[in-house]
Amino acid sequence: MEELIISIDNLKEIARELFNNDCRVIGTTAENKFKVIDDPEQLILNPNSVPTGSSFKEFFFPKTEPLFFYKQNNSSIDLIDPVIDKSRIVVIGAKPCDAAALPIISKVFNWDYKDDLFNTRNDNSLIIGMSCHYNDEFCFCNDVGGSPENRKGSDVFLKPLADNYFKAASVTPKGEAFIKEYQKYFEKDLGKNKPLVRKEENPNHFDYDKVKTWLDNNFENKFWDTAGEMCLGCAQCAFVCPTCHCFDIVDEQNGSCAGRRAKNWDACQFSLFTKHASGHNPRDNQEKRYRQRISHKFKYYNDKFDEILCTGCGRCSRGCPVSLDILQIVEEINSLSQKSNAI
Amino acid sequence: MNELKQICKDALSEKKARFIIGYKEDKNKRIKPFIAKTPEDAEQLTFNHHAVNNLAVYLPRFKNNVEGKIGIVVKSCDLKAVTALIQENQIKRDDLFIIGVNCSGVVLDIAKEFNKDNTQIKCKYCQAKTPPYYDALADESKDFEMPDDDQAELMAKIDKMTSDERLEFWNAEFEKCIKCYACRQVCPMCYCEKCIVEKSEPQWIDTSSTARGNFSWNIIRAFHMAGRCIGCHECERACPMGIPLTLLTRKMGMVASSEFGYRHGMSLTEPTLIGTYSTSDKEDFIK
Repeated sequence: MEELIISIDNLKEIARELFNNDCRVIGTTAENKFKVIDDPEQLILNPNSVPTGSSFKEFFFPKTEPLFFYKQNNSSIDLIDPVIDKSRIVVIGAKPCDAAALPIISKVFNWDYKDDLFNTRNDNSLIIGMSCHYNDEFCFCNDVGGSPENRKGSDVFLKPLADNYFKAASVTPKGEAFIKEYQKYFEKDLGKNKPLVRKEENPNHFDYDKVKTWLDNNFENKFWDTAGEMCLGCAQCAFVCPTCHCFDIVDEQNGSCAGRRAKNWDACQFSLFTKHASGHNPRDNQEKRYRQRISHKFKYYNDKFDEILCTGCGRCSRGCPVSLDILQIVEEINSLSQKSNAI
Repeated sequence: MNELKQICKDALSEKKARFIIGYKEDKNKRIKPFIAKTPEDAEQLTFNHHAVNNLAVYLPRFKNNVEGKIGIVVKSCDLKAVTALIQENQIKRDDLFIIGVNCSGVVLDIAKEFNKDNTQIKCKYCQAKTPPYYDALADESKDFEMPDDDQAELMAKIDKMTSDERLEFWNAEFEKCIKCYACRQVCPMCYCEKCIVEKSEPQWIDTSSTARGNFSWNIIRAFHMAGRCIGCHECERACPMGIPLTLLTRKMGMVASSEFGYRHGMSLTEPTLIGTYSTSDKEDFIK
């Protein structure tokens, strides 16, 4: 297959065409936030930017969405299905740590119950990923099976070249069809634009297999007494995370005889998360809740779905009000695992 | 720095405090809350312009678990929260060993160096570098000229808005809310064991992050802070969505001060504004 390149201007033209065809075009703007792009000129693709404050999961798994509406009519109750937005979603310029999250959480949304709401959006989506040239003390994609060039979750993958050009390659059949659909905007790569290269390779921090083995054997360990000791129990980490997917289901009244049942983001660091109707709470302190957060990401999800529930984007650590750093916690587990091996 | 370490080390070895809630620097040079339990732990304690957290938020955890004094490192702004918690009977003065630090300002963005463009709003109108009372004092301050209080300008602008314009302003801000409750969790005055949003029989506040749910949550929290917020600005710092929450709390503090001559967290013995009825209280705002 011939190698293709595309200019930023032509990417913006594609965005314009998509927007005019009622697509939801998601991209980052000057404020480095994912949003629905209505003006393609706003679109910025910068491989050197820090991961956005929030991931783009809200466009696939919104912070709140109705499951159905209800209305009482004399003695009967009408149940009304919500209208599922079937419009095409195109994400332009996702970092590998963002794109990789979708196939990971897709497994839980298709485990026993098939979640139509997530699946409809996911099936109608196209992800244009891009190499990442950013790295800071919170990044660790290459420790959790990713890399700054990882194509997992992307349908089309871009590599930045000089003079605002990108090398473009399809990753999936969906991506191939997309490039074909918009082929007039792509050019043959004649090798004129030199690839931009990352300044340095990302360092490795821990050995996932060792961390997993330690977690398998240390549900009870005094490490947990202090790991989450300073955690205040908010959900900043879970809500900005591209892979955290827990939700709560609530009924909300609107008017006297009508309302809706809604699916809302929830988080394991909330004290109510595991509180039973009886009043008993199996995770009755923050230390236990923090153990759950780490174990779910690095053990349980792997046991069940053969995936690590973390893409190493570092968002949770950058934003934590008390500077709890997930990488440092996992590094500590890594060093504990080495100590236990030595004995 | 050594002064603070020494004070804490002595306090722990002489059993003046059971443990000390303070700050430590992690391997990325980030300052974070830390509990020193032994004199050796105290070696890790530190303080600098990056010590933004109001550590008083941890105190209500120990409300019913006091066997020996709790040590806590406080800036003068944080001490107001400690005082307010004592005024509101959440903790006793006698159960605390307060290590005050002279502070000359803390950062807004912890990832960046402290300078006049990276200073917490509260520092710009801070009146006291030295905490008014303490059991020990460490001087870690350096001279620093504070930049202008630009929030006051924005507040004046909001004051001039019509109520419809204000509603539009706040609706746009609250739309960003994701209900992570970081504002509540980081707030030393939000210590309710069961928050009103967690009361589900009946459900007073929608838990959904809809326009209605977000507005109800943010306004009810503001109401509960009326005359109680001590102005540490932790809610705004913690908000991952960048909602300017202190515009509300600071305004209410100003109203409490101008209308009732009261500022919360300023005196250990003064009865609280919300907890006191006086026949001379103004009623002209009830319409």
